[in-house]
Amino acid sequence: MRILIIEDEAPLLQRVSTQLREQGYAVDTAADGRTGLYLGQEYPLDAAVVDLGLPDLSGIEIIRRWRAAGRPFPILILTARGRWQDKVEGLEAGADDYLVKPFYLEELLARLRALIRRTGGWSQAVLACGPIALDTGAQQVTLAGQPVELTAYEYKLLEYLMLRAGTVISKTELTEHLYQEDEDRDSNVLEVLVGRLRRKLDPDRTLNPIETLRGRGYRLRLERA
Amino acid sequence: MRSLNGRLLIAASVVLVAFLSLTGFTLDRAFRDSASSAVRDRLQAQLYMLLGAADLDAFNRLSLPQSLPEARFSTPDSGLYADVMDNQGNLVWRSPSLLGLALPFFPAVRNPGDTQFAPLESSNDTPLFVLAFTVSWETAPNQYRLYTFRVAETQWNFRDQLWSFRRSLWGWLLASTGVLLAVQGAILRWSLKPLRQVAAEVTDIEAGRRTELSGSYPEELQPLTVNLNALLRHAHAHLDRYRNALGDLAHSLKTPLAVLRGALENSAPDEELRHTLSEQVERMNRTVDYQLQRAAASGRIALSAPLPVAPVARKILDSLAKVYASRAPQLQCEVTASTVFYGDEGDLMEILGNLADNACKWCHRQVVVRAHPAAHGDRMELVVEVEDDGPGIPAEQAPLLLGRGQRADPTVAGHGIGLAVVRDLVEEIYYGRLDISRGALGGALVRARLRFQANGG
Repeated sequence: MRILIIEDEAPLLQRVSTQLREQGYAVDTAADGRTGLYLGQEYPLDAAVVDLGLPDLSGIEIIRRWRAAGRPFPILILTARGRWQDKVEGLEAGADDYLVKPFYLEELLARLRALIRRTGGWSQAVLACGPIALDTGAQQVTLAGQPVELTAYEYKLLEYLMLRAGTVISKTELTEHLYQEDEDRDSNVLEVLVGRLRRKLDPDRTLNPIETLRGRGYRLRLERA
Repeated sequence: MRSLNGRLLIAASVVLVAFLSLTGFTLDRAFRDSASSAVRDRLQAQLYMLLGAADLDAFNRLSLPQSLPEARFSTPDSGLYADVMDNQGNLVWRSPSLLGLALPFFPAVRNPGDTQFAPLESSNDTPLFVLAFTVSWETAPNQYRLYTFRVAETQWNFRDQLWSFRRSLWGWLLASTGVLLAVQGAILRWSLKPLRQVAAEVTDIEAGRRTELSGSYPEELQPLTVNLNALLRHAHAHLDRYRNALGDLAHSLKTPLAVLRGALENSAPDEELRHTLSEQVERMNRTVDYQLQRAAASGRIALSAPLPVAPVARKILDSLAKVYASRAPQLQCEVTASTVFYGDEGDLMEILGNLADNACKWCHRQVVVRAHPAAHGDRMELVVEVEDDGPGIPAEQAPLLLGRGQRADPTVAGHGIGLAVVRDLVEEIYYGRLDISRGALGGALVRARLRFQANGG
């Protein structure tokens, strides 16, 4: 999951981005509005966290411009003033949720997860496709009720595939959304990762949860529960 | 022209002077006409007298007797003259008063029965009124001759009359103009006195010698002074609120600070210290949040335009629909288009937002927002109701949630500081009342009554 954070307060930006990276998100950061606006327009984001009180360009303005340019990702706004007028203005501009400062990081994470789930069409915290269930809160995966041990990258890959279960996802899209900018983006790594995931989720090769569509990408083919 | 007094004075003076001059000219003209027609009547009478006295002499010529009933015809230079011409323009007779004088050659002999009247000058430049009358005289049976009788009088008398009339006319007109202007000036001063009084009172307010304008103003000024007073009271209330909020804030931060200092001095174990720290930080955060929201309330009741409630409610519900998208509660808005709020949009958003947000948090599936106007004595009320189908709020908990009897640090879990903020807004700024009861849907029904003056001001 690729997330952009625009926040002019350096310690807060640092803290939030570190926390999100630890949670397995690919994080882009911007300390001012103009950079943030540019990143949001250029990068394939899964969600954005925007502080409303930026020095150069207001958060509301950034959100308006993104929406005007047709950027679809969910946006969470951060506001220091808890006034409803500000919240309503932000949500009207195109944001999807708000958080009043100061906030707990767990709260931010939960809201982000919910927003990303909602974009994929899931309303519950546990994503279930066939016998596979992925708990986005606890970051745990079970196969027919039995816990499956996954590495961080395997989890990220499965989460992305399950969120968009039923749609074809290209390798480029996967690398863009799963990897940090400065990480190795060899597509062979992705193939190896998919292979390992298949072995763990389908040890006796009867389920075939992830299908490969030659030249187009991957698709999680199990029905959503 | 920057002064009202000056404008009114100049306009009224111009009108007054124009009116009085017109009156003067009209009266002058009327007097002149009537005086000159009096002269004409007099001359006519003299003329008839002459006609009566005239007779034919032995040679069949027209002649008049030596002594005429009017003595002035016989006295030289008496101011009243007469002569008679035949149709060739030869003088047949002239009055003895015309000694050494001649009437101007006027008018030419016309048809019998013609009368002509004109101001003319005599041979020695004396201004005269001349009346001429042509008659056809039967000198012999069936033989007629034309004679023109002329009677003249000097204009001196007429002019004296005219001048004395004019003197008194214009004298009186000028005097009344002066008096009217003076009266008008006095009326203006008297009428504009309240404006000067307002200015003086505003100066007093600025200097701190009084707090508001006195109530005894003419009704044209009442809206201004009433609104000005409302504005002043509002400013005072605002100031008081800031002062109170600051006091409350400082006061309510003292307790957690004392707890923290105590924990530090007791050198408690790390775990306990951490616990105390996080607890007190949370408490301080709530306090700051609460006071911030309270302070942000503007309560702009005075002079605010009516704000339709429906669009604001719609905005809030749309926002909440987004925020609670995963639970997808059914949000219903029952506000008629004509329902209005007299106050600050931010305050209304704060009230509706907090109430609806709480309802969304607690509802099972359904939230209803209602607003309708109601009369309350001479004041208007806006009743705002937010209802949900959640578990509801037990009656004994309601006062606690509303934070009655306590000013700050409302730390009731779940409903957060929202309800307390709404209560402050409704009860302290809009002089209304906030109630919690059980609604028809089975959950909590929070009703806010907001009060305004009947004219909305």
